[in-house]
Amino acid sequence: MSGANGHADDAVERLACGRDAAAAWDHAGAPDEHERTCPHCTATIADARRLDALVHRMADEPIEPPPSVLDRVLDAVLAELRPHHVLTLASPHGPAGLARPAAAAVLRHVVDRMDGMRARSCRIEQDDSDSADPAPADVTITVVARFGVDLASVTARVRQMVVAAGEQALGAPIRRVDIVVVDVFDGEEPA
Amino acid sequence: MTEVRVHVGDAVVARVAARSARGVPGVLALRADLAQTLLGLAGSVLRQDTGALPAEGVSAAVHGDTAEVSVTVVTRLGHNCRDLAQAVQRTVAADVAGYTGLEVLVSVTVADVSLD
Repeated sequence: MSGANGHADDAVERLACGRDAAAAWDHAGAPDEHERTCPHCTATIADARRLDALVHRMADEPIEPPPSVLDRVLDAVLAELRPHHVLTLASPHGPAGLARPAAAAVLRHVVDRMDGMRARSCRIEQDDSDSADPAPADVTITVVARFGVDLASVTARVRQMVVAAGEQALGAPIRRVDIVVVDVFDGEEPA
Repeated sequence: MTEVRVHVGDAVVARVAARSARGVPGVLALRADLAQTLLGLAGSVLRQDTGALPAEGVSAAVHGDTAEVSVTVVTRLGHNCRDLAQAVQRTVAADVAGYTGLEVLVSVTVADVSLD
């Protein structure tokens, strides 16, 4: 019996008042008479409550990814997938490039701003054979036009707009613009 | 006479270049590549903000007395991409050379043009 007790004494950490710290810890919710007054037991119970508060506060914290996490990963993945989809820009200071999708988005945007015109798709090709001096680009853009708009003059306007935007916004000379009118719309502009 | 040799590390060049590029008018932001984005996310989740200057969007390699710096930027419609790229190259090359004494070749990619 005493042997068993001695063994138990070794296994448990006694507080200075002789109580088992683990027992006091378990009673933290409802301390008995001794535990309410004994300084050792109250300190132990305070420890238990502090840990409890800390753990539950952390557990209650919602885990939320940073708001733009999906956009950032997608942008990076797309950039990684098409590393060579870059137009070469003229520069005396070293290699300079412009992402092709970005250039196409700019050209679509300026055409969208024209009256009676909406851009659908835009493809930009650049002949890379002459690497010393960047080659002028060829643009193929598909558009839809408002019904009644004179297509001949409208394509001339689109061509002018694309060439001007290439020079002013992109800084890439555009040699040829192919315009494909794929559809017409009536009155209200399509989304 | 004591010979003192200083080697400037890649990270130093990258951070100085990033700081310099962000100051160029027309540069909206620098665009990190996939590895940098994922590392950045891991860092922000683990709250390992060491206070280091951010270098996302810039990679740099030092070979002897020369440094190769590659910068990826995002701009806004209205800034000529070619002129912007050249301005970034001039500014970054001058700033990195001034800070580190290295000869610098800067390549620039305009990754995106904001249409807002």
